[in-house]
Amino acid sequence: MKPARIGALAVGFVMLALVAVLVVSDGDTDVGARSPLLGQPAPAIETTTIDDQPFTLARRKGSWVVFNFFNSTCVPCIAEHPSLVKFAEGERARPGGAEFYTVVNDDADAAIRDFFVANGGDWSKLRDTDGAIAVAFGVAKVPETWIIDPNGFVRLRILGAVTDGVLEAQMARLREGANS
Amino acid sequence: MTTASRRMSLTPAARRIAWAVVLVATLVLLVFGAGRNTGPLTQQERIDVITKRIACPTCDGESVFVSRASAAQAIRAEVARQVGDGVKTDDEIVAYVADRFGGQVLLVPRGSGIEALVWVLPVVLAVVLVGVLIVLFRRGNRGNRGIDGESGGPEMASTGTTDGAPANRRPLVITLAIALVVGIGVGVLVARQSGQRLPLQTATGGIEDSTASLLAQARLAGPTDVKSAIDLYGRVLETDPDNVEALTYRAWLIMLSARQFDESLRTQAYASTITALGRAIELDPAYPDAMCFLGIVVFRDGGDAASASEFLDKCIARQPPAEVRGLVESLRAEVDAALGK
Repeated sequence: MKPARIGALAVGFVMLALVAVLVVSDGDTDVGARSPLLGQPAPAIETTTIDDQPFTLARRKGSWVVFNFFNSTCVPCIAEHPSLVKFAEGERARPGGAEFYTVVNDDADAAIRDFFVANGGDWSKLRDTDGAIAVAFGVAKVPETWIIDPNGFVRLRILGAVTDGVLEAQMARLREGANS
Repeated sequence: MTTASRRMSLTPAARRIAWAVVLVATLVLLVFGAGRNTGPLTQQERIDVITKRIACPTCDGESVFVSRASAAQAIRAEVARQVGDGVKTDDEIVAYVADRFGGQVLLVPRGSGIEALVWVLPVVLAVVLVGVLIVLFRRGNRGNRGIDGESGGPEMASTGTTDGAPANRRPLVITLAIALVVGIGVGVLVARQSGQRLPLQTATGGIEDSTASLLAQARLAGPTDVKSAIDLYGRVLETDPDNVEALTYRAWLIMLSARQFDESLRTQAYASTITALGRAIELDPAYPDAMCFLGIVVFRDGGDAASASEFLDKCIARQPPAEVRGLVESLRAEVDAALGK
């Protein structure tokens, strides 16, 4: 066989393989975003709430923990807030419900207090004064929501604003997976 | 021929040796230059060097060093903190950030996986090109000699064939194959030497046996494989005897296991569990789990409802996580009944 023909066949084979990969691969339609931390133990977090109460993530093992990275001037954060309030109320009402925390991203305590007084949400708000928690989770832009399982493993990362029912559905899916 | 030109002329073998010496010397100097330690840097210099290796995750084409974005500032603060701690190497700090934000923040590509091609391909290409040039150069020389009529016959005879074309291609194919193998080998070495290393790769140490990892493994093993979980918590305590989580959960699992054995074993386990839980509470009085388990063990295994009630109250005040809270709430009614409430 002539070298030119071998070359043409090789190129054709590679093209076919690429088409096959595109045809059989699933589109990325999941709510969850990628992160190297998924399936790994959550970073060690030790901080205080804006009410000066100590918080250590390792001490919350045994509970589902939801972190929402938030800034009071960020428009998507404001837009998703009513959905977060509904989710947190639902979790509080159920036995073994998830613990919900706001992680303050590049914002002042007073601004956070004012926002929550005006918009509701009486869960704990964690300080992240120099961005160490955001870096530990690889958060570059807010809002982001993370779910950590009762064993302390990172299970889900959601980029951007959530809408009604999204977090509830994801929690139900994760709980089902944990029980199976 | 003049005296000087006679002195300069070398036999082909001597010429090859000279070229080989030059090549080896160049390689040695390159390796030495690349690996040379430039001495200790100040903390600020280290921070600058590290942040120049990390891309700002929210900007286009800017390093953390130059970017003023808030994400870049947060990364810079984290790098400064880790440099200040003085525990991690530069590679480990860069790997820490890459572990969180993904490999796309590495301005120096990794030396493994698909990113290693950035290091390997140029080397392979260079070696193959040099190989091809050598073959073509030698072929040109032979052609010239053939035209001169000095060695055309023996050269043709040495190929052992008469059709010409396949025999002419053979040295090229062999050279290409050798160059490819050598190029890949050298490319992999370059990638390993120059590429960004990850935490589990040898040059930056490992995290697989870190306390957090062992605790996570123990936590996963706990419900089904109690023995392994106890061993894992024990390994944590070997390196960190004051680890409150390991102290608490090891003691709790030992007590749970001992319940299926005879009285003397249960008594021993009870004593050691109370001691360990007391130690955990002493180390971290705010830790709810130790207080909760103390209340459960004192009631179930010690039969002391009054003390148990006191410990369970303290446990609830410390806001235990959901799993532990569930255990305590289910026990509360029994304790109250035992106290006649």
